[in-house]
Amino acid sequence: METRGTNINENARATILASIRQSLAASERLDRVRSEHHHASENRSSVGEQIRPAISQDALIENFRINLESVGGRCVIAKHENEASDYLRGLISRRQMKLVATSDSNLVKRIVESITDIEFIQNASTDVLFECDLGVTGAQSAIAETGTLVLESEAESHRLTSLVPPVHLCILDAGKIRQTLGEILESVGAELSPTITFITGASRTSDIELTLAIGVHGPAELHVIVIAD
Amino acid sequence: MTHLSSETFGQNARDALRDPILHGALRSLADNFVERRRAAVSSVDDWEGLREKARAIKDETLLHLDKYLLRFVENAERGGVVVHWARDGHEACGIVLDLVNGAEAKMVVKSKSMATEEIHLNEALESAGIEPIETDLGEWIIQLAGETPSHIVVPAIHKTKSQIADLFVEKVGIDKTGDVDVLTGTARRILRRKFAEAKVGISGVNFGVAETGTILILENEGNIRMTTGLPKTHIAVMGIEKIIPKFADLDVFLKLLPRSGTGQRLTAYQSLITGIKRNTDDEGPDEIHIVLLDNGRSRMLAHPVTRQSLACIRCGACLNACPVYQQVGGHAYGSVYPGPIGAVITPQLIGISKAKQLPYASSLCGACREVCPVKIDIPELLLHLRAEIADGSRANPGRKKQFGEMVAFRLYGAMWSNARLYNFGTKASRLMQRLIVRDGKIGKAGRFISKVIPPLGAWTAWRDAPAVAPRTFREQWRGKLESNDGN
Repeated sequence: METRGTNINENARATILASIRQSLAASERLDRVRSEHHHASENRSSVGEQIRPAISQDALIENFRINLESVGGRCVIAKHENEASDYLRGLISRRQMKLVATSDSNLVKRIVESITDIEFIQNASTDVLFECDLGVTGAQSAIAETGTLVLESEAESHRLTSLVPPVHLCILDAGKIRQTLGEILESVGAELSPTITFITGASRTSDIELTLAIGVHGPAELHVIVIAD
Repeated sequence: MTHLSSETFGQNARDALRDPILHGALRSLADNFVERRRAAVSSVDDWEGLREKARAIKDETLLHLDKYLLRFVENAERGGVVVHWARDGHEACGIVLDLVNGAEAKMVVKSKSMATEEIHLNEALESAGIEPIETDLGEWIIQLAGETPSHIVVPAIHKTKSQIADLFVEKVGIDKTGDVDVLTGTARRILRRKFAEAKVGISGVNFGVAETGTILILENEGNIRMTTGLPKTHIAVMGIEKIIPKFADLDVFLKLLPRSGTGQRLTAYQSLITGIKRNTDDEGPDEIHIVLLDNGRSRMLAHPVTRQSLACIRCGACLNACPVYQQVGGHAYGSVYPGPIGAVITPQLIGISKAKQLPYASSLCGACREVCPVKIDIPELLLHLRAEIADGSRANPGRKKQFGEMVAFRLYGAMWSNARLYNFGTKASRLMQRLIVRDGKIGKAGRFISKVIPPLGAWTAWRDAPAVAPRTFREQWRGKLESNDGN
């Protein structure tokens, strides 16, 4: 069985590669003729390569906040980790949340430490996660120009905690915000985690009559606390 | 409902034109998406430069597809992903089926994937006794209804809220509602259980990065994150043309795709998956399989015109912009891929003899080319395929040449390439057309023409032909020059 499968695969691989090479060889002559007629667009302006002026951290935070809010996310700027704890405590009691899942981030651990009136479940099993009212995670970086959170799986166990509960609260160190997607791709690309997730706002769909509905499979609410101390 | 065939596009289109519900849906698509796209495009400094760059990246990749594909596979395998090669849909379905059986799964969750639609994976799974559950809201709706997607991005665009509510009443037993949030909430409630239970998740792929072996999948709902994150086995079905060379190239495509598709600067989620988890205790699947699908794609590389088809990133902008799609919707095309891009790739995928009408399902207005984020010259492709239908090729003998038509076109050609004959022809036509011109046009009023020269009647059956003007441009120009000289 195993050998048969491998054989088929070897054949398919060889056939597909041969077909690609054969087709490319066939088009070579036509490509030469075309390139004489069409002058391929050379010297086009380069995209995203212009040197950008350095942006202050305050401006980055502000850009991030504006763009996150423009896609329906909530953004709170906290001067200290205590303020983040206060916001989280308020959210939990206001909504009468019972079960709260957390990732294994040290920042998250410090934030939830002072909240004693509820138990936090770190690295909850899938079954428990589906019962949780809130998921609290950190993020490894963020993109200001789009209001996007960047989650790297090697740094933190936040893949499901940020996805399954109906509300996701993310705690972000202001120093991790970059202005552009390009900058972020460069930094995460240097040491790729097995899974990187970009999150821009809450889960959404327009599949029924193009009417926007929030919270279809992922969280219906996204709260971000930016810690700027 | 019965599925329509590409071979009867003309009849399908005429039926669609008589469907008022479909028209309402298509109008809102055009109003919404076209406007949103315009706004999103204007948020980029140099949209044109970005399109050029994307196309250059795709051209480079396609010209060396064997090399980049092998690099992608090597890097994906280094990360612990198992890569499978499938020459056609049948082979791809077989591979997926073996994997699903190997995982002892009786049910799989699926996220939206045009490639799996193309190979009819759901039918293959069902006939093997495995239940595939579509989890994208639109796909789930059409799966419940037993239909096929009518749009690449919004598959259930042809259905109204009320039809969907009726469907939910019938299939999942909720009370009738007109509230989209309630309908969406119902899907959430039912599908969450499936995500939690499923042993296998099947997804598509938007981009595969050769340099790193990364696959990138975009979405808004979160069902792809569920599908790729919860089950123990993740299977991704990926056309061989999805490759891009460098990780940094994602910057270009992530700016283009959401803006072109839904008018967003970025969709809610992007999952970038590079190999399997490094510790068994980590989150995520234990196994990741990528099924590389050819299914006619490598053949498209054989000509620079057809090769463009493989640059497509499946944004759906050409559908939204197309005056034909806007009137007839997706089902009329009778193919998995509808709209302008469907009209060019379907004949190449399933064979031109099975989709002869599709290259003609266009007025060649060029709106698709204008909006295409990777600058595919769809009108050029349509003409190329029309020529193939008319002249025939090895794969398709074409239709028999008509002697009368050949003579007519020879004469026409001779006439238009000689100035004197051309002038004479203009004058002669002006005299002769007096019989058939009404209000400066040759149209239905001029039915007479079809009686005199029957084949020409087809030209005016659905549209007016312009009459030769009382004074041609050349005559006016000459007159102008003479009067100027007089001054």
